[in-house]
Amino acid sequence: MSDVVPSGGWSRSPDDQRRYDLVSGLVIAVLGLILLAASFLTESPVPLTVRGAVVIFSAVGVAVAAGWLRPQNSQDFYGGMALILLSLTAFVASNELPGMRGIAFGPGTAPRLFAFALAVLSLVVVASGLMARGPHVTPFKVRGIVFILGAILVFAATIRTLGLVIASFACIVVCAAAAEDVRWRETVIWAAILTAFCALLFPYGLNLPFQLWPPFW
Amino acid sequence: MYDLIGNLWLGMGVAATASNIMLCLIGVLVGTLIGVLPGIGSLATIAMLLPITFGLPPVGALIMLAGIYYGAQYGGSTTSILVNIPGESSSVVTCLDGHEMAKQGRAGPALAIAAIGSFFAGCVATVLVAALGAPLTSVALLFGPAEYFSLMSLGLIFAVVLAKGSVLKALTMILMGLLLSMIGSDLETGAERMTFGIPELSDGIGFVVVGMGVFGFGEILRNLEHTGTLEIVQSRISGLMPTLPDLKAAAGAIGRGTILGSCLGILPGGGAIIASFAAYTFEKRVSKHPERFGRGAIEGVAAPESANNAAAQTSFIPLLTLGIPPNPVMALMVGAMTIHGIVPGPQVMTKQPELFWGMIASMWIGNLMLVVINLPLVGVWVRLLRVPYRHLFPMIVIFCCIGIYSVNNAPFDVTMTAIFAVVGYWLVKHDFEPAPMILGFVLGPLMEENLRRAMLIARGDATVFVTRPISATLLAVAAVMLLLALLPTIRGKREEVFTE
Repeated sequence: MSDVVPSGGWSRSPDDQRRYDLVSGLVIAVLGLILLAASFLTESPVPLTVRGAVVIFSAVGVAVAAGWLRPQNSQDFYGGMALILLSLTAFVASNELPGMRGIAFGPGTAPRLFAFALAVLSLVVVASGLMARGPHVTPFKVRGIVFILGAILVFAATIRTLGLVIASFACIVVCAAAAEDVRWRETVIWAAILTAFCALLFPYGLNLPFQLWPPFW
Repeated sequence: MYDLIGNLWLGMGVAATASNIMLCLIGVLVGTLIGVLPGIGSLATIAMLLPITFGLPPVGALIMLAGIYYGAQYGGSTTSILVNIPGESSSVVTCLDGHEMAKQGRAGPALAIAAIGSFFAGCVATVLVAALGAPLTSVALLFGPAEYFSLMSLGLIFAVVLAKGSVLKALTMILMGLLLSMIGSDLETGAERMTFGIPELSDGIGFVVVGMGVFGFGEILRNLEHTGTLEIVQSRISGLMPTLPDLKAAAGAIGRGTILGSCLGILPGGGAIIASFAAYTFEKRVSKHPERFGRGAIEGVAAPESANNAAAQTSFIPLLTLGIPPNPVMALMVGAMTIHGIVPGPQVMTKQPELFWGMIASMWIGNLMLVVINLPLVGVWVRLLRVPYRHLFPMIVIFCCIGIYSVNNAPFDVTMTAIFAVVGYWLVKHDFEPAPMILGFVLGPLMEENLRRAMLIARGDATVFVTRPISATLLAVAAVMLLLALLPTIRGKREEVFTE
């Protein structure tokens, strides 16, 4: 399904784009600073080059927020920046792992190898996002994210403590709110049917160890 | 040759037991059912249904999973033809001519030819898997760590070259997958790597968690963006059987599609999606009347449908012989096998022949079932397609949640999946293809292990990868592929294939 609809759009007013860059730039700068702070919490000191890269990363965020840097292709620019952040985080997180010991790889060698390669390639992506014009990022569907994630987290939080029946029912109801055309009466009935089906299928039909009801009952 | 028949006979003996036939039937039916539903891919389908197989014996579980896989593949084409929305990404091209045929009142022949093409391709591919299994296994015995590493690199490069969109961004996705796979305990030293002190992460992030988050939930988030009702073909579906001229026109296309699909399926990184695209483009090129394509040409249904089914099956070859999953779905199969205590690779065939051949024989049985059961069930699928999306996605979400939870009985896994759902949605919003990421994630630990071993054996000499002939050849092919993909002229062609 994903292959039919190309993501990204071209139409967006300059004002909207400006606001988007401002917010995203600030997010980048803040995340960079958090990572920088975290790099002082590790037991062994993080190499200066990594810290320097984190500082530059934050600076780019500030530059974008202030409008000194104008990303031409938001998809590439912000996508690449996020991947750079990921690789910098990997550098900080794998800092304490020993590297090469003579001819043998240490546990830290491969993570840093991959993180380095990722950082280099992402840098190229970011650079191309600054140079060539490209589609903007289409608006995120906040409603979908909130309720779908909410439903998953509700399930995770309640499955152990309240059992399968309550967890499923709650999960389905929260989840259904993600659709714009949600109808509550229908949803409750549908949730009851699905819950009954799950409560029969998984513990009885498939013999999986599930607690159906809260243990304190 | 004698061996081949003997082996297939052994497999038939395993696959044709009543219980295994039942499991195959259930797998194929459930797979088709979920494949028909738009907005849930075969990867999410398998991940969702994984817990169903936990209580089964290994052979039965794998037979069922394989059934789900090609059932989902087939179900996807039904949706393509009837609603013009691909139920599976591998049936995107089937929409073009299939839906056109349906609008002309020829949905029946379109569905039938898709089934017949798939069945023929399935038969050929089954024999191919059986025939290539043994020789490739002996090749695998020549492979050392250096060769394995190079082969996996080749696979990842293939995945990049065959993915749609920017080659550079696909490469970053692979590296992201490799990096994520490093989280958890180091296999050799037991050191905790990048776990941020979270004990649940010391086992690493589960493949099912990433796959389900990115593909299952991520896809739901994307689908919620464009709500709208599906337009199902209203005309009555009458006359299922294709006419003789139809069959004649489709025969060549089925043959060519099968060959193309079989070849692309074996290649690591390839798989069903690219096979269907390639077959359609090829068919259009060799046709005497290319203008008919897109207006209901039966070849335009027959070729991609045969190709994707052939590829779906031959992609088992690298998994079963070399232990390397060539695409994300096969990677999930590795996960399933591991749960059942099977280590995929050349030793499966020698140590557990009944498992290997039983699974292959069951593929043929499963394909036969698809033809027999699906055509009469078209009415049921049509009714299923009328279910609005607001009813479907809560069902998918709850099944996925229960599925993930039941893998380890860990609520933490469910929470992690939520994180990866956002990651997947975010990646697609920024036009990064998540499929190479998943492949990198699965191959990561294997690649690291082989890289370390190869370096250790060569006493730290990195040239070992280019001085050993097999390894050097594999790397050279990878390099050439990458260069070709980056060349402007080829890049234009590549985009042409995907936009058609």
